Amino acid sequence: MAERIGVYVCKCGPNIGDKVDVGTIVNKVRGIKDVAVAKSHNLLCSGDGLKFLKEEIKNEKLSRVVIAACTPKQYEVKFMRACEEAGLNPYLMQMTNIREQCAWVTPDKSAATEKAKSFVIAAINRVSLQESIEKKEIDIQPDVLVVGGGVAGLEACLSLAQKNRKVYLVEKSPCIGGLTARFEEVYPTMECAPCMIAPELQEVLQKENIETFTYSEIEEVVGSFGNFTVKVKKKARYVSEEACIGCDACFEPCPVEVSNEYDEGLSTRKAIYLPFAGSLPNVPVIDEDNCKRFKGEECSICKENCSFDAINFDDEDRIIEKDVGAIILATGSTLFDPKELPQYGYGKYDNVVTAMQLERLNASNGPTGGKIQLKNGKEPKSMAFVYCVGRKEKGYCSGICCMYSLTLAHLVKEKLPGVKMHNFYTDLCLPKKEHQKMYKEAVEKGIEFIRSGENVTVTDEGEKIIVGTNGKKISVDMVVLAPAVEPNVDTEKIAEVLDIPRDDQGFFAEEHTLMKPFATALEGVFVVGSCQGPKDIGDAVAQGGAAAGRILSKLIPGEKLELEAKVSEINEDLCSGCNICIVLCPYSAISRDTEKKISVVDETLCRGCGTCVSACPTGAARAKHFTKEQIFAEIKGVVR
Amino acid sequence: MNEPTIVSFLCNWCSYEGADKAGGARLNYPANIRIVRVMCSGRVDPELVIQALKEGASGVLILGCHPGDCHYKKGNYKALRRAYLLKKTLKQLGIEEERVRLDWVAAGEGERFAEIANEMAETMKNLGPLELS
Ligand code: FES
Repeated sequence: MAERIGVYVCKCGPNIGDKVDVGTIVNKVRGIKDVAVAKSHNLLCSGDGLKFLKEEIKNEKLSRVVIAACTPKQYEVKFMRACEEAGLNPYLMQMTNIREQCAWVTPDKSAATEKAKSFVIAAINRVSLQESIEKKEIDIQPDVLVVGGGVAGLEACLSLAQKNRKVYLVEKSPCIGGLTARFEEVYPTMECAPCMIAPELQEVLQKENIETFTYSEIEEVVGSFGNFTVKVKKKARYVSEEACIGCDACFEPCPVEVSNEYDEGLSTRKAIYLPFAGSLPNVPVIDEDNCKRFKGEECSICKENCSFDAINFDDEDRIIEKDVGAIILATGSTLFDPKELPQYGYGKYDNVVTAMQLERLNASNGPTGGKIQLKNGKEPKSMAFVYCVGRKEKGYCSGICCMYSLTLAHLVKEKLPGVKMHNFYTDLCLPKKEHQKMYKEAVEKGIEFIRSGENVTVTDEGEKIIVGTNGKKISVDMVVLAPAVEPNVDTEKIAEVLDIPRDDQGFFAEEHTLMKPFATALEGVFVVGSCQGPKDIGDAVAQGGAAAGRILSKLIPGEKLELEAKVSEINEDLCSGCNICIVLCPYSAISRDTEKKISVVDETLCRGCGTCVSACPTGAARAKHFTKEQIFAEIKGVVR
Repeated sequence: MNEPTIVSFLCNWCSYEGADKAGGARLNYPANIRIVRVMCSGRVDPELVIQALKEGASGVLILGCHPGDCHYKKGNYKALRRAYLLKKTLKQLGIEEERVRLDWVAAGEGERFAEIANEMAETMKNLGPLELS
């Protein structure tokens, strides 16, 4: 059947009408091969215009349409829909921009007309070669995997868990709640952190649609948005989560005592332990590295003391496989180790501690039950806070250290009103609406702020610690260091498992800093909270919720997922298997079919940039809707 | 009036929008700047450029997002590497390298687009039409 192309030139009222001789164009293109109709219209995007267009497509039995009007950025979608409604595949329509890129920039009417005409001819040339593209939809798995049980992950879990959707929460440590669960009070509300998150923790653990795997890690991820398969390694806990009632009777008798990492080394724990009092789930874990039994010694004291037969020395690591449609990484961050900078005396002097150690000293669930004390058990009479530890080395401001230090200063002042406090800072970062107030209040309480820059040294003099800066020396009982926030050690491994990029600082890289701050280069994988960059609690929660929202709007139970239509394809017969496209594809959308020794495009991952097409040496790669032939045809038109 | 055209490949995300902004601001540039939309500057392979010259264009403009801003991450870097090679090849063929210009225009940079378009038109005017033997 012969093609019937309809050409519609919009006057856009006077916008195009006054600047371009629309009539001339219509007359000129009428004679072109396959052009069945060429007409002008005063305002095609109006209700009347769209109705007119749809009737034209039907009445004139058009097989292709050219619309010369404003920028496609404005109404291309609208016109595509009109075509679809009139029964024409929307990819058989081509828009050309004779307003922004012609009428509005060319004062000379005959030159503008000439240019517009070339655009219209180019569009006719191009549309003749365009192909219908059918909407691609795939079945999806609405369930979601959340990795990391800190505040960002918790928020994501609770937002996502609903009817017909399961959420799997995978947490590396034996308990959920992240760092927040180990803080006493948090800024700017100065409220009790464990109380603040307790309801969320309980809800996550009890909600029917959330399955929590603590002491677990992700091992392998395959698939793409809508259909990932994840392997989770659930490490042997040696304590049955079903049988254990959390009575703690097993800790006491355990003969092993090691430093407790959850108290930042300020206390000891047993080989069978709970990270800290009240940590959830309330089920202990046996630490294989330190338990006598795993070192070949005879010991089963914990088992003997368990009245519920919850201890199982034969427990094994288990691999659990889950199908999910999307993945949220909320794996958090850690603090820079000040031992790397000897000038701060950390590790050398007993009473030089990190902010996190002071957090634990101040915490009622911490090693001293909340008593702030020196190594010798005495209360400090004077303290120095040193900010920006590691900022220069890391090369970025973590943005939260000023505030967590200020918070600690306030909390200490509350408990020990007589304590003298000196804060050594470089720049104060107090960005949010409540922060300045907290600083002002600190000053009012008599806390001293000294702008030291990074030039701070910590030495000792007898019992005292001397903080020196720019010729000034202050003698204190205790020094608190505020280290920079850095990526968790496992960030690299997880990035590898998922094949997603990290940024220059080692955090997971977001897709776009401003517009897609929680998406990644891999569609369907999101990064929220401080694993994407230093963040306070509120921002982490906001990101967790935002990513969940994105998923909720895309992965709807029972509905299909629509894929990008303008993707690349590879012609099997032409592909030489050189792999160039595989290396270049920014989305890892191309892989090698090892049997056929050629490249294949995964349409669920391809976003249609065409990079593979321009790199393909044999012409096997082809970008749908932007093929070489289509662009050539357009070029021919525009050069006249 | 019948000056040879300059085929301008604009990436869909930044540069095409930049050109639209120039229109919105009613900035003027010569009518021989003829725009062809591509999804990314990384899609512009030498074949497209050479075809434009073969069809009679006197020059080719390739505009993409600023480095670091490509909608597809690094397409513009790929365009940059390719343009470098292409210019070398053109030179060997006796074609002035100024006939191909790769540059960056952000979505908000209407003025920059108009400026580049004007400059390019001026350069082509000075060089005269391309004679391909
Ligand atoms: S999208 Fe603009 S250069 Fe890649």
